[in-house]
Amino acid sequence: MSHGRSADGTSQPDVLDWLYEEGRQRATRVPEFDVERTLSRARAALDAGAVSFWTVLNPAERAAFEATAQERTFPAGTALMREGERAGEVMVILDGWTKICVDEEGREAVVAERGPGDLVGEQGTAPGNVRSASVIALGAVRALVMTTAQYTAFTGEHPGLPDVVKRHTYDRLIGRPDRF
Amino acid sequence: MTLDPPGREAAPASYADAEALFRAAYRDLIPAAYRLLGNRADTEDAAQNAFHKLMVAWPKKVGGLPADEQRAYLIKIVINEARQILRRPYRSREFPGVDAGDRASLSPSIEEKVQAKEELRLVWQAIGELPGARRDVVTLRAAGYEYEEIAAELDIHISTVRSHISNARKQLSRRAARDWEGEQQ
Repeated sequence: MSHGRSADGTSQPDVLDWLYEEGRQRATRVPEFDVERTLSRARAALDAGAVSFWTVLNPAERAAFEATAQERTFPAGTALMREGERAGEVMVILDGWTKICVDEEGREAVVAERGPGDLVGEQGTAPGNVRSASVIALGAVRALVMTTAQYTAFTGEHPGLPDVVKRHTYDRLIGRPDRF
Repeated sequence: MTLDPPGREAAPASYADAEALFRAAYRDLIPAAYRLLGNRADTEDAAQNAFHKLMVAWPKKVGGLPADEQRAYLIKIVINEARQILRRPYRSREFPGVDAGDRASLSPSIEEKVQAKEELRLVWQAIGELPGARRDVVTLRAAGYEYEEIAAELDIHISTVRSHISNARKQLSRRAARDWEGEQQ
């Protein structure tokens, strides 16, 4: 590597000097980024539930959830929920994997993948919400489905639910009633 | 009307502050990640993941900190995310000759490029194994930041920056020597 003297004045340039030079060069060509795009993709991933929902429920809560929810199967390639649609349901994936994607100017952008134990669509529990992302089955997916009303009742009846389950308060707190 | 049913601990009413912090810091976060990663897709991933981590850490850890420390914490999250990406054996968004390129550009052949990439990954792994504060300082240095800038970004004194970098150089070169010996056996 021939980047001349070390940036520190030490005798020999080392790998840190080399990285430093590279970083300085890159600083001159940072492209434009859009904070709204970053936030909307990050939110879509958050909406989709990043922490395994099912495993944080205790056995009684799980039994209560199963008693109310309906089991449904989605063939590969079908949508569990679609961006832009009114949100009416939440689902816990029991088997199989899904991709969470958003439409970016006609192009599909995958923002996350969700699989067994994950809760999807929880933002739909605020009234009148619209889906901010589509959830598409990658293979056959088996899921427990609740209506948003049932889910709201469920969280109300189980006050001991851990924080991760309460994350759906995020969008309501920041006043975004139009989102899923 | 309350947001949470009675009897449950109210969620902190400050997620909006977390988002405001992210927005305000975005202009600094993006260059930090890009200067480490060198391509748009990885930079976008690092920024998204950082927002996610910020939200998760906000109620218990970050929300109560003074503003300067919150910002420094967020910078650390971003460079940490970038470093995780750099440590991956195969970076998903790389295309040979394009993104794989500029850091390996000193090596002409593809074989040498692959080797240079692998060596770079080991360097990032070694940096990732430095103790916390030193790791953050060295990561920003590797992104091409000056000592004063590092001190400002991390909300620490410049003499601390200096001593971390000098010690890290020794640690890294000792480790490189050890790895090199290991390969010879």
